[in-house]
Amino acid sequence: MSSLELTQGVVNALLLSGTLALVAIGFSIVWGILNIINLAHGAFVMLGAYTTYWLFTLYGVDPFLSIPISMIILFIVGYLVQRYLINFAIRAPLLVTFLLTFALEIIIMNLAVVFWKGDLRSVTPSYSGAGFTLGQVQVPYVRLAAFILSLILTGLLHVFMTYTKMGNAIRATGMDIDAAKLQGVKIGHTYAITFALGTALAAAAGSLISISFPIDPTMGGAYTLRAFVICVLGGLGSIPGVMMGALLYAFIEVFSGIWAPSLKDAIALFVLVLVLIVRPTGIAGKAFYH
Amino acid sequence: MSADDKKSPIRLTRFDGLFRDRQRTMLGLLIGFFVFLFIFPLFASGFWLNTLTLLLLLAAMAQGWNYIGGYTGYAAFGNVAFFGIGAYGTALSMTKLHWPFFPSMLVGVLAAIVFAVGFGLPLLRLKGHYFAIATVALATAVGEVADSWTNFTGGSAGVTLPFFHPIQLSGQYFYYLSLLLVIGGILLTWYLMKRKLGYSWVAVREDEDAANMMGINTTWSKVIAFALSAVLAAFAGGIYAYWKTFVLAEEVFKIDYTLQMILATVLGGPGTVIGPFLGAFIYYILITLLVFFLPIGQLHATILGVIIILVMIFTPKGIMDFLSGKKKLTWHALLENVRTYRV
Repeated sequence: MSSLELTQGVVNALLLSGTLALVAIGFSIVWGILNIINLAHGAFVMLGAYTTYWLFTLYGVDPFLSIPISMIILFIVGYLVQRYLINFAIRAPLLVTFLLTFALEIIIMNLAVVFWKGDLRSVTPSYSGAGFTLGQVQVPYVRLAAFILSLILTGLLHVFMTYTKMGNAIRATGMDIDAAKLQGVKIGHTYAITFALGTALAAAAGSLISISFPIDPTMGGAYTLRAFVICVLGGLGSIPGVMMGALLYAFIEVFSGIWAPSLKDAIALFVLVLVLIVRPTGIAGKAFYH
Repeated sequence: MSADDKKSPIRLTRFDGLFRDRQRTMLGLLIGFFVFLFIFPLFASGFWLNTLTLLLLLAAMAQGWNYIGGYTGYAAFGNVAFFGIGAYGTALSMTKLHWPFFPSMLVGVLAAIVFAVGFGLPLLRLKGHYFAIATVALATAVGEVADSWTNFTGGSAGVTLPFFHPIQLSGQYFYYLSLLLVIGGILLTWYLMKRKLGYSWVAVREDEDAANMMGINTTWSKVIAFALSAVLAAFAGGIYAYWKTFVLAEEVFKIDYTLQMILATVLGGPGTVIGPFLGAFIYYILITLLVFFLPIGQLHATILGVIIILVMIFTPKGIMDFLSGKKKLTWHALLENVRTYRV
């Protein structure tokens, strides 16, 4: 591998890590607060991507401007799903919520295939191919913008969770549900808001992904698995941890993609299994044993 | 059955008192049903024979999943890996070594056991979500390796097996083979749940630390449950491979199979002897009829999803909860489940 390839790989991994962190953070708050592995997370990423695609294709809305729209739409969808579906089974054993979100993923994906067809599509604004070069390393503008936007959204989430009443209520519910109830927190509503935040972040990530990569209805599953691997690598429940996990994962993915393209996912998944086997307490040190 | 069993501190299965009144009726019905299944090929062929063969393979996989997911309580989400390994083991032994079918199938089963023990030992130390996702990841990774290891598995071109001779009888042959596998699975489960091993699985599910303290080797108990679930899935995979005479990684490592076996088990009743078998029947007949009579075409997966959601919300303990006489099947009982688990 030449040094150019190496530097380009490093830059690509850095740029990728921003979007992946955004995908994983939504997944992480739902897991941390609600104790649900949301297997439909990737499907919400896909819905976000398609919102941007349709707004761009049908109405010519600039993809970056459509991000707030897709976030709002998916926020509402997420709220309704949690409030009127998952809340009914949330205290059931792990298997039940796991299957419930899996079923949601299947339904969303299947309906998307039926209504939008399985074709690969891409969002191509006039600036999509533009970029600048640092030495010989190429940096596309859209990916750089996606990276910066991801960092901004992550920062906003941190501010929301730390300084607003709702954010504090969410964290309190995650720490001790009974104590939160005693303080007057409405659990059903708080759970729904938390889940909706997760889907809104997934939607933002999906919109950003649709600008840089081709999209199709089955793209979601891969993002759900990635989000999980990142949470395991970075530890659950901290935003900086998730960002470190995303960075590490982006490097694994980009470089295994260079060396063994056909085994890209397999390598990442074996890394996950290895991490779980070798260090069941996780790299960030959070205990995996409940 | 001795009186001691009734006093046992752990409720072993909801079907343990085979010789009480209600169970006697159910046993009669069950035997009647199996007699029906045995004579079924006499008056059916083609579509329905195919459907029932697939259904029986699904039932066998569900029974396997029941050991690890139902009795031991570990949410294994990668059992399709064993199905795929069984299918590939059989296919490769038959095509590369030119072995006959049964020894080849044993190769597939042995490969699945080695895989289950090798990965089960480290992975079964994980709990809850971590175990679930680790198994998903493992199954996905194995599928991808099978798809891209072109020299060994034929890659995306798949493996083509020789046909079964005489070809006119192949439908019946694989149907009866699958039926035997299912009956074997039921008898094995029934037998094991009377033994120490079965008790240790339930003990692990109810309280693993307490089970450890009682001197149960929980590690091996879990690994054996995992390996036995692999055995049934790998047999199903072997039968499937020779029946379809074609093995493709995309097909035999499809996560839908994992979902279907879990759904069948949960629908019927996890941790019961015949629950997975009944669940597989109800689910598969339901979905076949829906696809057959409704113009839903591609919405197949959506229907599967809706069924999963309804089952999870209303009967998370399966229909054996009602059949065993513990509860009556009423709206009230269904809503009771919702009330228990909502916030």
